[in-house]
Amino acid sequence: MKNFLKTLIPVDIYKGLKLTGTHFMKVFTTANRRKVKMHVTQEYPEVPVKLAPRFRGRLTMLKDEQGEIKCVCCLACEKICPTQVITIESGKKEGRKTKIPTRYDFEMERCIFCEFCVESCGFDSIILNHQFELAAYNREDFSIGMLGKDQNMFELTHVGKFSYSDED
Amino acid sequence: MNAAPVTMTLLQTCVMAVLQAICVVLFVFIIVPLTIYAERKVLGFAQDRLGATRIAGHRVGLTGWLNRGMWRMGKVPFLSYWRGLPMLVGDIAKLFLKEDIVPTKADRAIFLVAPALSLIASVVVFAAVSFYPGALFTFPKIVPIIGGLPFNGCITDMNVGLLFILGIASVGVYGIVLGAWASNSKYPLLGGLRSGAQIVSYEVPLTLSLLAPVVLTGTLNFNKMTLALATEMPLYAVPILFVSFFVYFTCGFAETNRMPFDMPEAENELVAGFHTEYSGMRFGFFYLAEYINMVVVTAIASAFFLGGPYLAPFGLHRYIMHVPFLGAPNGLWFVAKMILLLFTFIWVRGTIPRYRYDQVMAVAWKYLIPFTLILVLLAAMVRYAAPALPVA
Repeated sequence: MKNFLKTLIPVDIYKGLKLTGTHFMKVFTTANRRKVKMHVTQEYPEVPVKLAPRFRGRLTMLKDEQGEIKCVCCLACEKICPTQVITIESGKKEGRKTKIPTRYDFEMERCIFCEFCVESCGFDSIILNHQFELAAYNREDFSIGMLGKDQNMFELTHVGKFSYSDED
Repeated sequence: MNAAPVTMTLLQTCVMAVLQAICVVLFVFIIVPLTIYAERKVLGFAQDRLGATRIAGHRVGLTGWLNRGMWRMGKVPFLSYWRGLPMLVGDIAKLFLKEDIVPTKADRAIFLVAPALSLIASVVVFAAVSFYPGALFTFPKIVPIIGGLPFNGCITDMNVGLLFILGIASVGVYGIVLGAWASNSKYPLLGGLRSGAQIVSYEVPLTLSLLAPVVLTGTLNFNKMTLALATEMPLYAVPILFVSFFVYFTCGFAETNRMPFDMPEAENELVAGFHTEYSGMRFGFFYLAEYINMVVVTAIASAFFLGGPYLAPFGLHRYIMHVPFLGAPNGLWFVAKMILLLFTFIWVRGTIPRYRYDQVMAVAWKYLIPFTLILVLLAAMVRYAAPALPVA
């Protein structure tokens, strides 16, 4: 009898329709507004993507407030790197107690973006930034260091210049 | 309501019929692509997506090349990006341009005729559907042949309109079954057989659920039925109409092969069902026929159960009869109700997954048919109890 009534009065269908109906109304009313977004998909090439805060992008070196490189060449990142993409040469600078890197090479073609280097760093001097459009035509574009304009460790590099977002 | 009958010559009748047919075909071929567009968007929104938003790539192809100029100017290229609406043009262009392949072993003549049969059966139904009782407007005397004649809300106001609709609508299954058989392939054949069994089964409760309004009104004339159902029903007939509306709408899903009952093209079992071997515009015919069938089902549901051109559904019209604008019959109400029901079609598709085949048949034979028989019995009792109801 209970089964019979359940077939006769479609409560389950009503519940399902209510669920999809509320989702439809939420997205329908907010789809074209800039501020509130209820939908989970993103219009990537035209609209820049919102990434999660812990997204692991390309390795970047940080500078402190005085513009000094934070890295002290403890080589922790170089040692822990599973694919050995980091090469550091240390040097001295006047007025600075700790060592300063004269070379910090990062070969991104082999990087697996595991973030071990950032975890191992005791001075918070490197992070993985949010740059993810990392395709390039030449192998040289992937070797990133401290020198040069196009491929340096401090800013977004030229590697992702074929990004859809900032073309033209 | 109906104006005094105007005597028309044969030529006048023909011109009038052609004009009205053109109007109806235009209406159908505007509302069907919009339904296809709405299907994409509504399904997307219901699943927290955006649906179709563009037709072109960013820089690929002709549209991409055009769009690149727009991006350079700092504007979103409206031509191909306007909320995915231009995708309709792309759809139609694709259907026309694609190669039309006929399998070598197919039964050629039947293979070619079947989609047309399916499409014609679904379009011809509109000959008897009335969008508005009486004349929409009268042509001025200056118009050469048809001056002074009224432009009616329906093409033909025939005495057995409902019978005509049901008869023609059931021809549509021939298109599916013949096309499936002529494909000479096992999946279409299975899909066609399923579809034959399913549509024939569901035609019984569909017709029986429409029999309750017929019994209540005592006529098969589309206009008279709409008028009587909207204005002259006693209050205790409302529950019957309410329930038979839901039964009719459920059967409508099965008749149009829509999602909870789309056995004929169960794509995870039968590739694409009856239209597996079809391509190009012939596939497009089947595709269009499905959507036109949806429009037909919604038109009949909104005419008989939701009051048609009268705003209040289920015969509740008398309570708003004297409200100035809302009380008067209006073709817009009819179309608005159709759009609402078309939305429901898509909404249900986004909600309910496909039933198993034996469940589909069990619902028809074990539940809906006895249920509708009881409804017809109740309707007969209402008619017996209410002598005020019109006699045809």
